[in-house]
Amino acid sequence: MSACFMFLRHFARQSVVPFVHRKKGASLYFTILHRHLSSRTPFLFYPNKENVPPIEKIDLDEWKNTMKSSLPEERSSLTTSEDTLTVIREWIEMCRMLNREVPEHISDEDLKKIAECPSKKSRKKQLKFLYIKENHKKARKEKQARKRAEKDEIEKQKQLGNDEESENKELKNTFLLPLQDRAFKSERDWRNAQAMIFGQPLVFDMAYENFMPERDLKNTVCQLLESEGANRKDIDPFHIYFCNLRVDSPYHKELLNRYKEKWNELLLTATEKSHVDVFPKERLIYLTADSPNVMTTFRHDKIYIIGSFVDKCSQPRVSYANAKRLNLASERLPLDQYLQWELGNKNLTLDQMMRILLTLKNTGDWEKALKFVPSRKYSGFHTDSINSKNFFKGSQKPKLEIKKSFQKLSLNAQNRGVWWKNE
Amino acid sequence: MMTLLLSFCRSLQMLWKNRLYPGSSPRNWTFSVLYSYFHFSKKEQRYFSFTLPFQRNIKATNFLISKAISSNKSDKDTSRHPLFSAGTAKKKSEILGYKKDQQHCFPSSSPVLLPTKPLNSEEWEKVKENFEQKNIFEHWMMEQMIKYNCSIDIAKSLLSWIARKNNGIVDYKLLIGYLTLCVSQRQTAEIIDVYEIMKTRYKTLEHEGYTLLIQGLIHSDRWRETLILLEDIKKIMSPSKRNYGDCIKGALLHREMNLAWNLYFEMLNHRIIPNWETFQAFFDFAKGVKNNEFERRLLDILLYLRNNQMYPNEPFAQSIKIWFESIPEKKWKGESVIIHKSGQCLACGRMLESIHLNSEEYEFLKQRVLKDILDGGDQYRKTTPKEINRFEKFIKSCPPFDIVIDGLNVTKMFPKIRESETLLDIVSQLTKQNFQVLVLGRKHMLNGRSRWHKNEMTAVQNMAYCFFADNVSEDDAFLLYATLHSGNQCRFLTRDLMRDHKACLTDEKTQQLFFRWQQGHQLVFLNYYPGKKIIFQSVLTYNTVVQTTGDSWHIPYDENIVERYSYEVPTKWLCLQQQN
Repeated sequence: MSACFMFLRHFARQSVVPFVHRKKGASLYFTILHRHLSSRTPFLFYPNKENVPPIEKIDLDEWKNTMKSSLPEERSSLTTSEDTLTVIREWIEMCRMLNREVPEHISDEDLKKIAECPSKKSRKKQLKFLYIKENHKKARKEKQARKRAEKDEIEKQKQLGNDEESENKELKNTFLLPLQDRAFKSERDWRNAQAMIFGQPLVFDMAYENFMPERDLKNTVCQLLESEGANRKDIDPFHIYFCNLRVDSPYHKELLNRYKEKWNELLLTATEKSHVDVFPKERLIYLTADSPNVMTTFRHDKIYIIGSFVDKCSQPRVSYANAKRLNLASERLPLDQYLQWELGNKNLTLDQMMRILLTLKNTGDWEKALKFVPSRKYSGFHTDSINSKNFFKGSQKPKLEIKKSFQKLSLNAQNRGVWWKNE
Repeated sequence: MMTLLLSFCRSLQMLWKNRLYPGSSPRNWTFSVLYSYFHFSKKEQRYFSFTLPFQRNIKATNFLISKAISSNKSDKDTSRHPLFSAGTAKKKSEILGYKKDQQHCFPSSSPVLLPTKPLNSEEWEKVKENFEQKNIFEHWMMEQMIKYNCSIDIAKSLLSWIARKNNGIVDYKLLIGYLTLCVSQRQTAEIIDVYEIMKTRYKTLEHEGYTLLIQGLIHSDRWRETLILLEDIKKIMSPSKRNYGDCIKGALLHREMNLAWNLYFEMLNHRIIPNWETFQAFFDFAKGVKNNEFERRLLDILLYLRNNQMYPNEPFAQSIKIWFESIPEKKWKGESVIIHKSGQCLACGRMLESIHLNSEEYEFLKQRVLKDILDGGDQYRKTTPKEINRFEKFIKSCPPFDIVIDGLNVTKMFPKIRESETLLDIVSQLTKQNFQVLVLGRKHMLNGRSRWHKNEMTAVQNMAYCFFADNVSEDDAFLLYATLHSGNQCRFLTRDLMRDHKACLTDEKTQQLFFRWQQGHQLVFLNYYPGKKIIFQSVLTYNTVVQTTGDSWHIPYDENIVERYSYEVPTKWLCLQQQN
């Protein structure tokens, strides 16, 4: 009996050993045993090593000769050309061979830009930017080609034998012609024209040109376009003002560049005047994340100002300083009161601000409005956490109260809701 | 005891780092055999490092441990001004329990399958068959060889196999990989061969290739060609400090002193800060040379360190010491010491330079603080013009202060005690010692909320001068200006290291002035219990910078095992004196 037990134990240990060493970290015995047992040795052993004796002496320098001889002419030194641009082009080519992040094709303009970069780092960044851009372009082209191929395939199928179906389609009885983009557009234009006359103004303050480098300015204009589009599609749009927009300033040029001839047909007001000249001061509220005051409710009789400013150079309090200088009221969104903020800047993009304000204007519901804050920045709304995690209760309670008071304060929003229903 | 244990662990970690990534010591593949046995869990690795006969390492451990212990002992002496002394921040983070992720010290890759001898083509094919990602096999293999420093014969066999496959062509990336291997093993002949190949095949290289070639060629007879390579780099971009450093080293190796110096000056003209190795190379090569001109230039290097507030690392400090001691006739003697808190060198008894700014520098700093920190181009950002006016009027109406207190910072240090109580306690203790005290705060402190009792605040206002800025203004800027305005005897009390304000100063020279002034004027509690007597950490009285009196040099340097943060200064000094 005991002999049998011994045998079993021995066997068990043997078979268990390969898995055991992780748990019993410090055990020297097991690791040594493991090493002996495991066949996974870190070096290659060639099974046929014994069978095949070291026959040929491998010619180790053979590749050198071929490498040297493959080119006909000899050069004395490495670089031959003196022109900086060609040298840089060649340099980029060499970088590409090392799988660095550099573009494959590069235009002369970009090359000049790269040659003018003041530091290595900026040059690297520029090259990476071009590289990523090129990759996107390539991917897009591939996708287009794929789609075109699919379409052709479908066309072929149709031509082959499904003529009956197409005839059936022609005979279909419809009430309306399919609504076209044109119809949507004219409907939106009507609404925006109405907003130009009766709508609540919303100001974009364009006074931050000097705080931004060129690429941030471009981003800002992108965001402006996006927010203008969001406004246009809304059921009750704002009347947008671009204040402090000087003619022929970089802003203006970039906007013209993006909108092209549409710029003059846009249903918004662009002015060189400052917002304090256009509107009465006491109605203005500057929205800035640095403000000490929290926005509790969206007020329909106020004029909100958004600084069109992408701050990637981290210059704090610039827009708040502007508000202070002009002695304007300022507010910030109640992000901390509603959201469990996780990471990222409290500054939101212009289009996010626009969407939040539009939602507030239409519904007055903060939770719905703050859905437009990028979800990577927060982990959830405060109410959610109370439901799910009871142990948070103590710390969350005051915030819940704050929220309730907020809802009380946003009375006019509720009134609006009633008015809406009566309609 | 706890800290001792911690530092022991740290030294062990360092040992591992040193062992796994040794700087220049050439290793052949046998090392990697031993190494690759260690791919077990972390604990076992440690265990093995002691069981296997690494004589050198055990010695090194003992050395490191003894050093760590001795440095801990000496910490007691230096703890008199710990805020800015090297290693404080590190220690604090350890006490607070932030530990570095120790996993990083150990590479966590799977066992590496590296051949142990040169293979022929069929064998390489076989190896490739067993590898999953066929398309990157060659590059991956080369990377592993570099990582574990295989012998170059194996790499050669890999290259010849690839060349045979590809009509005799090896691509650039593999060539660079091979070159890296050659450079790390100092195979000069091979480097020259690769150099020839690159010259014939490519019109221009990129910086990694240039860097490797320069690094490899300086040891050969054709070291002059590194200068051509350097010129080539200049056509594309400014060479790195390493490129310059290697060229200088090459020139020094071949006794071309003038060339080395010219390269050095060119480097400085391009505002490239040389490596420590470059400086060290000059001092190392100067030992045999008897040349007054050379000597003067070396002393210029030391002055360069002084002007840029650079602190040598330990090996460089050793080189400096050895060079000084090697000068014949003058009989220099070097010693590594700690400076007494009064600013007296314990070895030679000389007083070090005072940390205080002279009146010109002081005035300059005051203006810059007013202009860059408080004003900052836009007065509305940190405060308002109205408030600046109010503050200036207030400052002018008061006598010069002795201590300026950052009320909010000081009171928030003790979250369990009511803020106004702490403030009252501190202010009353300081005024009892006949100090003129200014308390800076914000207006919300006067509101009489639960944490700020009204009667306690009025008591504070009766005892000390108070200035309350708007709730949205930055009070630190006012603090700095008030202290500077009151004159040299005035100190300020805050735990804030003022790094963001230092960053507002535009040029480096002013930042250095600011830091010097800050070291000499910032008070920090050593430990404070409510009701007990206040003790401050003592303020530095001497300037931590390379300094000379003609017949003596005092050079602060960084110890190897102490991790110094950028706002700290080293505590160890090299004292050099002439013996007559």
